[in-house]
Amino acid sequence: MLNKISKYWWCQIIGWSVNIGISIFFVTTFGKADHLYIKSLILTCITGLAITHGMRLCIHHFRLLDKPLRKQVLHFVLLTFIFSIIFGMASEGIDALLQYNPERAEKYTAAQRLFISSFNALWLMLMWNFIYFIYHHVEKNRNRELDTFRLEALVKSLELKTIKSHINPHFIFNALNSIRALVDENPERARTAITELSNILRSSMRAEKQETVPLQQEINIVKDYLALEHMRFEERLQIDIEIDPDTLQQPIPPMMLQTLVENAIKHGISKQIRGGTIRITSFFKNDHHELTVQNSGRLNGSLDSNTEGFGIKSTQDRLNLLYNGKAHFEIQDINGNMVESRVIMPVASIL
Amino acid sequence: MHKAIIIDDERLARNELKKLLSDFPEIEVVGEAANAAEGIEKIEQLMPDLIFLDIQMPGKTGFDMLTELDRAPHVIFTTAYDEFALKAFEVNALDYLMKPVEPKRLVDALHKLQLAEEKEMAASIAGINRGMLSENDQVFVKDGERCWFVKLSEVRLFESVGNYAKVFFGSNKPLILKSLNALEERLDEKVFFRANRKHIVNLRMIEKVEPYFNGGLLLDLRAGEKIEVSRRQAVKFKEMMSL
Repeated sequence: MLNKISKYWWCQIIGWSVNIGISIFFVTTFGKADHLYIKSLILTCITGLAITHGMRLCIHHFRLLDKPLRKQVLHFVLLTFIFSIIFGMASEGIDALLQYNPERAEKYTAAQRLFISSFNALWLMLMWNFIYFIYHHVEKNRNRELDTFRLEALVKSLELKTIKSHINPHFIFNALNSIRALVDENPERARTAITELSNILRSSMRAEKQETVPLQQEINIVKDYLALEHMRFEERLQIDIEIDPDTLQQPIPPMMLQTLVENAIKHGISKQIRGGTIRITSFFKNDHHELTVQNSGRLNGSLDSNTEGFGIKSTQDRLNLLYNGKAHFEIQDINGNMVESRVIMPVASIL
Repeated sequence: MHKAIIIDDERLARNELKKLLSDFPEIEVVGEAANAAEGIEKIEQLMPDLIFLDIQMPGKTGFDMLTELDRAPHVIFTTAYDEFALKAFEVNALDYLMKPVEPKRLVDALHKLQLAEEKEMAASIAGINRGMLSENDQVFVKDGERCWFVKLSEVRLFESVGNYAKVFFGSNKPLILKSLNALEERLDEKVFFRANRKHIVNLRMIEKVEPYFNGGLLLDLRAGEKIEVSRRQAVKFKEMMSL
């Protein structure tokens, strides 16, 4: 703000000084420069500065710069006329005060003199307004660009947030399709499947608001999720879950395990014709809580899609944010035909 | 009466579709497959004229499977979610359905199939040799991100590139994974003529024939390509074209 005011005042001072300079130049070159003229000139320009400052106050008071373009132009023209007349009056007043150019006073009536002065002032005011106008338009455009950048950054951060609670739509529609098929074939299974799906959707909506959840809660969701995937893949999905019960109360980021399991299935199991195994383990190791998801498959070539990379990155980001660098996440091939995602977190003491 | 095959890796999805199709007596589901390899097997064995194809399958995708077929039957794609940029489709995909399939959408898709068939019947030549590919048959061609169903009647030229061939149609010339010799065996020689070692030409796309060096011929094709006919083939050509 301070910078902006200085800029404006600099422009004013320089602008009016230049006006004085040019006028003196022309007068000395083409006519006579008596010091009365110069006095009049300087006083007039100082007054001009004051008047244009007043005009600026008007512009801001009536928020002319925020109006639609056509209205702006109209208002500016009006303003120019009004202030030209004011300037004209001031100019005449100064001349009268200094008794400069009395011959003019005799040649023309007051009204005529006012008209002439205002007319001369008009061009000055027009130019002043024009410059002011242009300057603010350029500023506005620059701000608009900045706003666009800020908006894009916001969208990106929201995307990150939604990754947190992002349930793969592919999964949802496939699950619904399978449930529909089961309605006749195995109505009981269809009913439980609907409950499982509803649990998953609810927890994914809640995940937005929670910073951590106990492992127990996350395991329940993952179990529901795997039950639904098992419904689709049948014998092509083998599930093995080994959780140390002591770790069940440990706080972990919501939907993190869910995301890892989703990826394991999306990039590992579903890509293999005979399917495979997914194995989830959780235990304490060396003062840390270790959570792993292993699946049949291989890494090379599964990290090609954008969302996959994003899922991994968001997991790393969330762990960094939550544990301040004290948590690790790694994903690697093991045993030649399995992929392991491992999350290592500091142990939280449970009261 | 249409013979149809359902190809989807999920048993429940196949059952769902079978259930829906049971309302359409003109569609007979003659087989199922759980992946691309099984799919190709069943298609070659049962010769369906319609397949319901899941795009996302383990191993090869639905698209990849289609490129391996000599002749692409009518295809209705099924997918759970539209992430597969079906905008990559240039033209002629009969239709695609989103799972769970809405019965009304299925009706529309089958109706489109009916119309397409009627158009083909009107344009087809009588007495098609079953083993040979006729002009109304279509092939599925994939070139990077883009895919097409191309009617053979639109193909001007096949040009050999190593063990594969370029297919010239419209303003495109994508590569297909078939050798020129393999193509020559399947194509009707009354329409597709082996002009020289590197080219098979669609006779209906020839605009001008001129004599050329060494007893050969030069063929001007509709889009401006100029193909030489070797001397040996030129003899055959003249025999074929003579009254």
